[in-house]
Amino acid sequence: MTAATAVQSTFAMPSADGDPRRSSDERALVVAAQEGSNEAFAALVRLHQRRAYAVCRAIVLTHEDAEDAVQEGFLHAFRALDRFLPDQPFGAWLYRIMANASLDLVRRRKVRDADELSESSPAPFRDPGEADELRRRLTDALTRLTDRQRSVIVLHDVEGFTHGEIGSMLGIPEGTARSDLHHARAALRRLLKDVRSDI
Amino acid sequence: MTKLTLHNDGADDDVTRELRALYVAPAGEPYWNELEARIMARITEVDLGWWAELDRWARPALLAAAVLVLAAGVAMFRARQVETRTAYEHILTPSPVPVETVIRPTLEGDREASLRDVVGHKSNGRP
Repeated sequence: MTAATAVQSTFAMPSADGDPRRSSDERALVVAAQEGSNEAFAALVRLHQRRAYAVCRAIVLTHEDAEDAVQEGFLHAFRALDRFLPDQPFGAWLYRIMANASLDLVRRRKVRDADELSESSPAPFRDPGEADELRRRLTDALTRLTDRQRSVIVLHDVEGFTHGEIGSMLGIPEGTARSDLHHARAALRRLLKDVRSDI
Repeated sequence: MTKLTLHNDGADDDVTRELRALYVAPAGEPYWNELEARIMARITEVDLGWWAELDRWARPALLAAAVLVLAAGVAMFRARQVETRTAYEHILTPSPVPVETVIRPTLEGDREASLRDVVGHKSNGRP
């Protein structure tokens, strides 16, 4: 299948996970994008943006930051596309870039928040849609975890990534991801202990 | 997908549910279409930017300039070498034609003219 055919067929076909043609089509799209086809890259964006958002959202604190990180991540991927080997899994490569973009954003936010600390004390993140006590407390509890612990527990328990995938994304060994998950769960258990007795 | 099992009672399900609700991705195609459009707009903007074009051409241009400078340098060096060699050769190599041979016709011509002049005068002076 030529790259152009792959672009056309991908535009036409649904991008559901598990499609047996997806892997080869995706490879053709990557090759086409590497040859300069913006349409092929747009098709790759369409295929991966939901998962990319999930990865970013697990690492940053807000939906808006996740959107920013997704855009940054795709921009980085576009720039680095000529260095990607099409035989590798594109998703794993892309999500690692997304995780790095998110971690960069978190670092930048921390620096900015530290700069603004002397002027005003920012309120902890609150989801405007939170309706009940558990959600409020859970939101607070999540902000008390370390960035990595929060990322690991969300990526694993909400998004369903394996320890190995999480380790690869965050640039840590699989064992460390496993240990972070254990500590994150223990911390949440401790922080939500009194809420549990209330509900 | 793994369940969050903080505790083995009903509260865990609530926590898991809340955790997933907190991190739920926006639903609806219009949102994702718009996000894709924003991503691609940003990429196109960067892709078409003059700095990207400049960046794309900077390396080949630098390489071409370096090759040109090198070629010019080599050409100049060789020209100078040839010039120097020719100058040395002119100085050191004896001329294939003897100087006398070159000069003689002129001298001889002058001498003959003088002689002719003198002889002519003499012959003219005779009765």
